[in-house]
Amino acid sequence: MKPDSQPPAPAARIPQQDETALVARARAGDHAAFGALAERYAGVARRVARAVLGDPDDADDAAQDGFLSALVKLEQYDPRRPFGPWLLRIVANAATDRRRRRTVRRVEPLDPGLVAGGTRPDAAAERRALSERLRQALAELPERRRIAVVLFDVEGYSHAEIAAVLGIPEGTVRSEVFHARRRLRVSLADWKGEG
Amino acid sequence: MTQEPLPFDHRPDPVLGAALRQALDPGDAAAFVAVVLARADETRAFAGSWHGVLARWARVGLGAAVLLALAGGYLVERAGATGGTPSVTEALIAPRAQAPEVEVVLASVLEP
Repeated sequence: MKPDSQPPAPAARIPQQDETALVARARAGDHAAFGALAERYAGVARRVARAVLGDPDDADDAAQDGFLSALVKLEQYDPRRPFGPWLLRIVANAATDRRRRRTVRRVEPLDPGLVAGGTRPDAAAERRALSERLRQALAELPERRRIAVVLFDVEGYSHAEIAAVLGIPEGTVRSEVFHARRRLRVSLADWKGEG
Repeated sequence: MTQEPLPFDHRPDPVLGAALRQALDPGDAAAFVAVVLARADETRAFAGSWHGVLARWARVGLGAAVLLALAGGYLVERAGATGGTPSVTEALIAPRAQAPEVEVVLASVLEP
């Protein structure tokens, strides 16, 4: 099974002018403008939170916390800088905080079919199994590495932007992406080998 | 993804990216955004009510300050007015501002 190979979706790519205007309106209390920002960044924020937390419900809660925290901190946002990395940094921090607060880590059991290398009756089941395997592989990576690879390969952010999100040097981002890819590719290769 | 990349490949890997996107697919975006907006409204409503409380306190405080200032002004003025008109006893025992000249004193002594 091979997923569709498409370039990262440009969902989070908003012209700077539009973004600045939206943020200014949201800052002034414009409900619709904040809604537009939430719509545009919902996908990437939820994926980043899920990369950190694993559990989709926890991830959504963390992403919502991130949006609300950003709304409260909107006065602190520097409009000369891109909004996306600023927001995603807040979301990533919200996810990290939530992960730290979790006293008992929920370990989701592997799909028995995956563990046993069982049969894959149809394409949908294959996709689900592959996704499960990828999530497991992602969960084994250090948190920063997960965020880096998701932002780079899924969302199409540059190393510089990811560096701004994570608060680390660009060179470190490159290294994190490289190591994450190597681990995830091994996981995918094993999957193909089993097929 | 099919080829081993350079250590610091600066291009996104579309195959790995698509697989990860599918693995992390968050589902219904509309419901998520609706929850975010509802929580944002609650946050704003809370902030609004908090500002309202502060504003009410500020109004009460301002009124109290004005009353205190008026009362203080009245008392000071009253005290000042009382100090300006001494009683007869005070006037009699009060020392003179200037001592009388020597000739006047001598004259008062020598005169029968």
